[in-house]
Amino acid sequence: MMTTSLLNTLLACGVALAIPGLINRVRARLAGRKGIRFAQHLYDVRLLLRKGAVYSPTVSALFRAAPAVYLGAAFTALLFIPVGDLAPLLSFDGDLICFAYLLALGRFALILAALDTGSSFEGMGASREALYGALAEPALLFAGATLALVCGCTSFADLTAGALFVSMSGMHTAVVLLLTAYVLLKLVFVESGRVPVDDPRTHLELTMIHEVMCLDYCGIDLAMIKIAGWFKTAALALLAADTALMAFDCRWWTAAPLAVLLTGAAVGVVESTRARNKLVRNTTFLLTLAALAALVFFTGYLLQSDIEIR
Amino acid sequence: MFPYLLTALAAVAAAIFGAPLRAKAWVALAVVAAASAWAGSTAIGVLADGAPRILWQADGFLLGGGGGSMDTLSALFVLLISLGSVASVLYSHGYLAHSLAEKSPAHVSLHYTALTVMALSMLGVATSDGGYTFLFFWELMTIASFLLILYDAERRETVRAALAYLIMMHIGFVLLVAGFATLDRACGSADFAALAGYFAGRNPLPLFLVFLLGFGMKAGLFPMHVWLPQAHPAAPSHVSALMSGVMIKTGIYGILRVTAQLADLPALRTAGLILLGCGIATGLWGILLASAQNDIKRLLAYSSIENVGVILIGAGVGTLGLAAGNDTVAACGLCGALLHTFNHSLFKSLLFFGAGNVLTQTRTLSLDALGGLGKHMPVSALLFLAGAAAICALPPLNGFVSELLIYLGLLDGIAAGSGVPAAAAGLAALALIGGLAVLTFTKLYGTVFLGAPRTHEVAESTEVDRVRIAAMALPLAGILLVGLFPQAALDLVVRAAGALAPEAARGTASLPPVMTAVCRTAWLLIAVTGLLYAVKSRAQRRRIRRTGPTWGCGFTAPNVRMQYTGESFAEGLQSVAASVAPRSGEGRAVDKSELFPAAHNFDAEHKDRIDALFAAWWVEMLRRINRQMMRLRTGKVNHYVLFALLFLVTVFLLSVFNLIR
Repeated sequence: MMTTSLLNTLLACGVALAIPGLINRVRARLAGRKGIRFAQHLYDVRLLLRKGAVYSPTVSALFRAAPAVYLGAAFTALLFIPVGDLAPLLSFDGDLICFAYLLALGRFALILAALDTGSSFEGMGASREALYGALAEPALLFAGATLALVCGCTSFADLTAGALFVSMSGMHTAVVLLLTAYVLLKLVFVESGRVPVDDPRTHLELTMIHEVMCLDYCGIDLAMIKIAGWFKTAALALLAADTALMAFDCRWWTAAPLAVLLTGAAVGVVESTRARNKLVRNTTFLLTLAALAALVFFTGYLLQSDIEIR
Repeated sequence: MFPYLLTALAAVAAAIFGAPLRAKAWVALAVVAAASAWAGSTAIGVLADGAPRILWQADGFLLGGGGGSMDTLSALFVLLISLGSVASVLYSHGYLAHSLAEKSPAHVSLHYTALTVMALSMLGVATSDGGYTFLFFWELMTIASFLLILYDAERRETVRAALAYLIMMHIGFVLLVAGFATLDRACGSADFAALAGYFAGRNPLPLFLVFLLGFGMKAGLFPMHVWLPQAHPAAPSHVSALMSGVMIKTGIYGILRVTAQLADLPALRTAGLILLGCGIATGLWGILLASAQNDIKRLLAYSSIENVGVILIGAGVGTLGLAAGNDTVAACGLCGALLHTFNHSLFKSLLFFGAGNVLTQTRTLSLDALGGLGKHMPVSALLFLAGAAAICALPPLNGFVSELLIYLGLLDGIAAGSGVPAAAAGLAALALIGGLAVLTFTKLYGTVFLGAPRTHEVAESTEVDRVRIAAMALPLAGILLVGLFPQAALDLVVRAAGALAPEAARGTASLPPVMTAVCRTAWLLIAVTGLLYAVKSRAQRRRIRRTGPTWGCGFTAPNVRMQYTGESFAEGLQSVAASVAPRSGEGRAVDKSELFPAAHNFDAEHKDRIDALFAAWWVEMLRRINRQMMRLRTGKVNHYVLFALLFLVTVFLLSVFNLIR
């Protein structure tokens, strides 16, 4: 039990470290470049970890503590996520709520840290992050509710534990689960600040969301924020992969590679082929996502209640 | 009973009026603390063994007999009232210290007498069996709180808000009197327990709705919430804390008491849907308007409305669970609602105390005039941060535990396939409320306590006295206890939920393991975060640490006025939700077409659409009728004697012609 949980955590961390590398590689290939080293992001973070720090005289102790809270929350959230059929370290009924609120805790800390600098640019990023985070919440919980509806249980570990006693026929379940996985994959884009919601490579502070919130961070603090971002991405990516595989056969040796490939390919392709949304469009994008999640949920409900359509 | 009560109140009033100016707070505190200690210890006894206690029994009380007893549900509310009252009176000492010189001693005495009466009457409300005793305490509570709001009576808006409050409470009171009178006529007793008999024999919905509206007026149910955002900014902060944290909970108490008497399954289902619908509307309306506010106390008032919504969502889910025969859902919903009621009283008191600190130290409550207070008032800032994180339901604090229970009720309902559409609506609403609460409270905390001070008055503010900090530490202790040891809190609310519905107590088997896991997660989170912070600080000790200005993105002359304000922080949301909180104001902002903008001055405000309902034609009509009636008030004694004579003649003539008997 403990061994599988530890293996689960290690695998999840591995996925978290691998995804940014694959995204860079996919993007480079699509642009016709050879690309940077696969593990370049790890070297970058190692460099950051060796650096000192510059703090603004405006900031208070909260600014220094926020990266630790952000990373702590993201790491704890990752501990709830099963990789395929392995049991996660933490699990209880309704842990998907805990997962969502741990992400919210991280967001809360980072938004406050951004406001602590007194910079109007960081305030702007914080305002956007708060709004988009709030609007993404219903979509995440609707996806969770769909899983609860289809599988009849409310914790991640039970969902993927293998014993899927489903009342609908297999095909229907598979469609609903795949659509839920699609919603979760879109949430990966939102939560990890990727195109089309946010562009991590943009050069203008006015158009940034996540990056502009961390402008005043450097060294170890910035490294912690980056690692937390990887963990968040990995948690949602694994969730999407688990959900997609649940309809078929959910094993750890299929789920972990799928999470990396799916996210790496999807994010890489989208970032290479389309531009970031205009900021006002993001709200529409997120509301559409919530509506889509609700639609998937009600489709699942209608299929489950077995109404005869004549 | 009644004479004793009056004598006791007179004695308290005499003690407070007789005490020296500075000692009045301590006399009030002594009375409230003694009553709270007695009530609280009885409540703990009741919660420990689960057996109801009879507290008093009076035959000649007002319009008939009245009894007071304490079951586990009352006990939970008594506990909440005791804690909130003691903290409020303790806080008032430091808060009012500065204004004592400006007020007359009688004024201050009246305030403290009202504060004491308020605390005692709320204990009376929570322990009355119902009927006219209940109504007596209910009215006493309303009048006491009206006097409390009027502390700054020389300000015009205070009088306005207090009168609006008094009128709305009496509309609610009339509904409650009608409800209890109907009950009395039909069953011969106006106790809550008699409701079960009434509901069993007849269509329960009309009476249920009358009670829901009557109690909902106090609880701040949408669209009857308009008094809250007016009364709270007008009242002194400890009164806001007492009213928002504790008094509106008596409305919740009434709603739960009435709902618990429903036994008929279809009626229970309808009641559950009504409660859930009210909860969703109240919660979303509250948080959308809270996010738009630029006054700390108005924002907190709207956030109270939101939390009442969350509590009602829980109660609705629980009731639907009862109707569907799903004990787990019923247990989660009801326990969640009760625990959230308790939790909200803790963090809302703390936040209003924090707002009071800001007001006395900086003389303003406007978000956009503050900033950077965290450096000048570090302890207040830290306490406020804890309250803000708790109200956003973030782990590892108490708000998370209660919202988790409500969510569990919703998810269990969905997983079991019972009442799925209603549960999904509740889930989506709760998720959105949760997300927007993070936005609202980061806006509040960030603009007030973080960044750089926007005015020099703010930059010169200092920390408050120790007594006030102690008063704030009291709710904080509750927040931490419930958040870090949720098993104990769950035990308490499961007992209380048992008084509401015995079925719910049976469905709690799956909850203790969840609470143990939540506890473990909370400590793990703290350990991981603490470890990361310690490692970081240690590593940084050996590195070069410098201080440099905030990165200005290439702009070389930033100033404090350029910081993101509360208004601009919430602008993104307001662009989506403009129809809920339309913006009005004076002046205009810089236009895009102005190449060389001149100085602009503008003042934006977000109005509540429901307010318009109370400024509509019918209010104007009432005012006109009132003006006509005022002509009779001539101020001449001979006219009044004539009126009395006319009255007697009319009565005589009517009885002569057998029109009245």
